[in-house]
Amino acid sequence: MSAVAAKPQAGGAMNPTAMAVGVVLTLILVGICYAVSPAIGLTTLIAVIIGGVLIGFGTHFVPVGGAPAAMGQAPGIATGVAMLAAGAGLAGLFGGAWAADQGVVIAVVTGGIGGGLMMAITCMMVNFVYVFGMGIPSASGKVAKDPITGDTQAEYKSQGTEGHGLPFISFVGGVIGGILGGAGGTLIYVALLHLYKVALPGMMGITAAQVLTIAVSTAGMFAVGLFLVNAVLTAYNITGTIEGPHDPKFKRWPRAIVASAVASALCGLVAVLIVVLPTMPM
Amino acid sequence: MSVKVEVIEGGIPHNKIMIAGVICTLLCIYLTYLNVVTKTEMFSFFGGLAVVAALIWGSHTIKVLCSYGIGTGVPSAGMIAFGSGVIAMLLATKFGILAPIVALVLAAIIGFILGYVSNNILNMKIPAMVQALTEMAVVGALSLMGFAALITGGFGFTGLTTKTVSYMGMSVMTHQESFLGGCLIAVAFLLGSIAIQHPFNATLGPGWKQDRMLMLTAECGFLSMIVAAIMSFALISASSAFISLIIAIIGWAYTYSEYMNMSKRDAAAWLDSKPIPDVEGH
Repeated sequence: MSAVAAKPQAGGAMNPTAMAVGVVLTLILVGICYAVSPAIGLTTLIAVIIGGVLIGFGTHFVPVGGAPAAMGQAPGIATGVAMLAAGAGLAGLFGGAWAADQGVVIAVVTGGIGGGLMMAITCMMVNFVYVFGMGIPSASGKVAKDPITGDTQAEYKSQGTEGHGLPFISFVGGVIGGILGGAGGTLIYVALLHLYKVALPGMMGITAAQVLTIAVSTAGMFAVGLFLVNAVLTAYNITGTIEGPHDPKFKRWPRAIVASAVASALCGLVAVLIVVLPTMPM
Repeated sequence: MSVKVEVIEGGIPHNKIMIAGVICTLLCIYLTYLNVVTKTEMFSFFGGLAVVAALIWGSHTIKVLCSYGIGTGVPSAGMIAFGSGVIAMLLATKFGILAPIVALVLAAIIGFILGYVSNNILNMKIPAMVQALTEMAVVGALSLMGFAALITGGFGFTGLTTKTVSYMGMSVMTHQESFLGGCLIAVAFLLGSIAIQHPFNATLGPGWKQDRMLMLTAECGFLSMIVAAIMSFALISASSAFISLIIAIIGWAYTYSEYMNMSKRDAAAWLDSKPIPDVEGH
């Protein structure tokens, strides 16, 4: 019990002063972006912030079990928040990147479906392993009845555990989280790709065809970096495990939205500055 | 509210490792500038040594941070280090000779804001958080710059995006065969982020010893350097890449044998059991 008790209990309370500082900081960063690149830079930054917030919000839906889930003592998928969010989001990002030429809407939807599909497959295989491999039924420890199916949970829950397996609501939460994460990651990628395709040829003095690989690679790396930053910040917000949208920890999402907005605005501004600042010779 | 699980007992204090890490990493990255001075590519291997120095510092920072049970797993720390580092590093490459210094300052700013966000907005309230995230962003940025210098022989934006190849007597610029255009940066990203989070994850626990963890970090760093040195055959002259490869293999072999010795030293009892003998008549 001591190992469980030693987990940090970062309170669910909001810190209004820090939240206000966060909002002001975001606005300042957007303002700097408006000053250096009013047209395309600003729209890119706003798309990046929206994408980052989608990732941060979506991660809260994913049922993360961590080590207790691997031992069948807590519900969820048996790994960490950052790994799951990165897996779902990057799968969506790769899906959306294929459709980047067909416009923002199709690319973002494709990315969302890619992320959701990845999470659906993961959740299904996890339940196969739990039910047929470990021989445990799916039961939530946080709610008496599944909010969607209405099935009661207590009869199936083993004593001394917080529930186990992957109840239906967690499965649905995982798919929603994957959709939001994949769509957010793709939105960041598409916005940055558009910016680099437009701005890099003039900056480097080369043709649009030559710049394509650099634009794809740079936008992809920025998208991956932003994704990991947002996923880890959300992991810090959740501190450990979450069952899905019915978990009491889910109510902490406003903090993660502000945090993701600040982090995305900061990193997005740096990504915009790369085409604004002149290149110094070696 | 957080519970500190372990305390550092004995060993080198963290500040000493940090200062040594900053100086060694910057010095090694700047030594690759000898490539420009002497118009060769022979000094690229210093980039790999910079990576090893930065990783040693970074893994100790992860130890400081993760000694507080942050509840998200050690790998997430490596992910946020490189996620925030890659963003700072990409912009910093535009500053020519000043690039490593700019990477350090920019990454420190990004890491500081992310630390503030996690500690105040997300209410983590972990004393080491701000400093640790600042250091880790710097480590991520400088490691990636070290990889860039190792693979391409330089750390400027033009050098990372352009390669001059001679084609039928004419020199032609290509952008596909470059660190950014070929997206070698993605491989460098994961080589670094795995190498930075693995050592503490592998050695944590009651028998944790500082020298054993740092030796494992050096081993992981040289292992990554072997892979990066093989990749550098594509972008720099074969003889220079061969020098990097030989140095990486020698470094890896030495650190691996040292790590094995330390593991045997720290094991409670170590028995060199022979393979099960084949006994006649069974």
